[in-house]
Amino acid sequence: MKKILNDPFAYVDEMLEGLCLAHPEYYRRLGPEGRVIARAGGPVKGKVGIVSGGGSGHLPVFTGYVGKGLLDACAIGEVFSSPSAEQMAEAMRAANGGAGVLRLYGNYGGDNMNFDMAGEMLEMEGIESTTVRVADDIASAPPEARAKRRGVAGLVYAYKLAGAKAESMATLGQVTAVAQKAVDACRSIGVALTPCTVPSVGRPTFSLSDDEMEIGMGIHGEPGVQRGPLRPADVITDEMVRRLLSDMPLKDGDRISLLVNSLGATPHEELYIAYRQVSKRLMEVGAEIVMPLVGRYATSMEMAGMSVTFCKMDEELEPLLKAPCDCPFLRI
Amino acid sequence: MPAGLTTNVLSDGIKRIVAKLEASADELNALDASLGDGDLGVTMVRGGRSVLAELPNLPDDVGMALLMCAQALTRLSGSTYGTLLATGLMSAAKSTKGRHEVPWSEMSSLVGNAIGAMSQRGGGKLGDKTVLDALDSVRVATDGLDDPAALAAAANEAVAGALERFREQPSRQGRARIFAEKSVGKDDPGMVAFKRITEALK
Repeated sequence: MKKILNDPFAYVDEMLEGLCLAHPEYYRRLGPEGRVIARAGGPVKGKVGIVSGGGSGHLPVFTGYVGKGLLDACAIGEVFSSPSAEQMAEAMRAANGGAGVLRLYGNYGGDNMNFDMAGEMLEMEGIESTTVRVADDIASAPPEARAKRRGVAGLVYAYKLAGAKAESMATLGQVTAVAQKAVDACRSIGVALTPCTVPSVGRPTFSLSDDEMEIGMGIHGEPGVQRGPLRPADVITDEMVRRLLSDMPLKDGDRISLLVNSLGATPHEELYIAYRQVSKRLMEVGAEIVMPLVGRYATSMEMAGMSVTFCKMDEELEPLLKAPCDCPFLRI
Repeated sequence: MPAGLTTNVLSDGIKRIVAKLEASADELNALDASLGDGDLGVTMVRGGRSVLAELPNLPDDVGMALLMCAQALTRLSGSTYGTLLATGLMSAAKSTKGRHEVPWSEMSSLVGNAIGAMSQRGGGKLGDKTVLDALDSVRVATDGLDDPAALAAAANEAVAGALERFREQPSRQGRARIFAEKSVGKDDPGMVAFKRITEALK
């Protein structure tokens, strides 16, 4: 294991300490264990609070997106492990401005169970809350079982769109509906070239030989749909776009935003090589690209590879996508 | 001796359970390592200590006391097993809220409600070879009993029986499911942890 770290078991706490020292105008750390990050200014009175949470190892997901027009608070677990229900409840309390709280997070068994539990606790305290689970990874379940899919880079669109809606002082029901609409509009697929190592474990989460890649691999190394020899960028990209379009067909005149995302180690250069091919393919079907994002938005520590996310716009979502937002990792 | 479960009786039971879990941590870690990520013992000890720290603050309302125990159990860890147990405690908390003494004869039905809540939260079913099967055996064996010593003895015997019955079956839920073949002939770590809990109450 070759990482810049001190004690592997202090990885998450030291990361959060640095994050808050670097950006005190955005973040404050809460809770007895310091595993909740909330907006520095506290909850916004009368605004629906949006909380997320999950294991560490994916920055800027989840914690990084706490900020105006995005999340209000976030619970942070160990690397690739769910935070506790009580930490999630703490995040919800910190996000509560009196208009209810939306729990918006990736669809994983442990997180689902703990967020449900946290919701039950808050209900007993008289705080109303709703749930929307992001499930955009098309490689993780077939279209007929879409709700079972894992949540990956589509989280970024869900945060952005629901966050903008909440900022307009919409009701909990309206914010929840936009969050669900955003999830329904998103499709993602990833390709992994090298694994990553959980610091406290010390060995890679899976193995791929030097000349191999795996399409559809999850952000924790969950098995993908196609393992084979590493191919040229355009061939990889075409295969990913083909799978995305077969899951969510696009037609002439459709407007979509797309995210070409690094899983951690893959540089911006390679992302732009891929972007060029994705945009060609979208032009062929006549779809128009709106506000594309290219960079590190949802990662798996030092994993090499990328993901491509399509988010289909409509007259409600597009203005929300373009609305202002501000966190250290995304400013519009 | 009160005729039912009070906060004092609950506190005493928790102290015994946590002491037993401390003594069983290595055993539980090792069992879990062969089928999961090997941290069940650590998780149980951390959760148990967190509940212990809460004991001086427990109110006389048994329901509220159980709720505080559930929250303490889930304070530090997001582990599936801890959250499931806390879900069972929350279900009992709801049925006992506002009461200072809960008749022993209600234990079996509280366990039954807990099984329902845990199954819904975790998606596990009876027969999957999980702690739910141990609990269901306890529910059946304690039905109609209203003496705490008899309840504890029946519960302990029932969990032993469940372990015996499921040993040769594959796991159908949780991480152990991925190792379904490997799990044949092995005790489910969550069931064993629950066995240690009932042993502590004997």
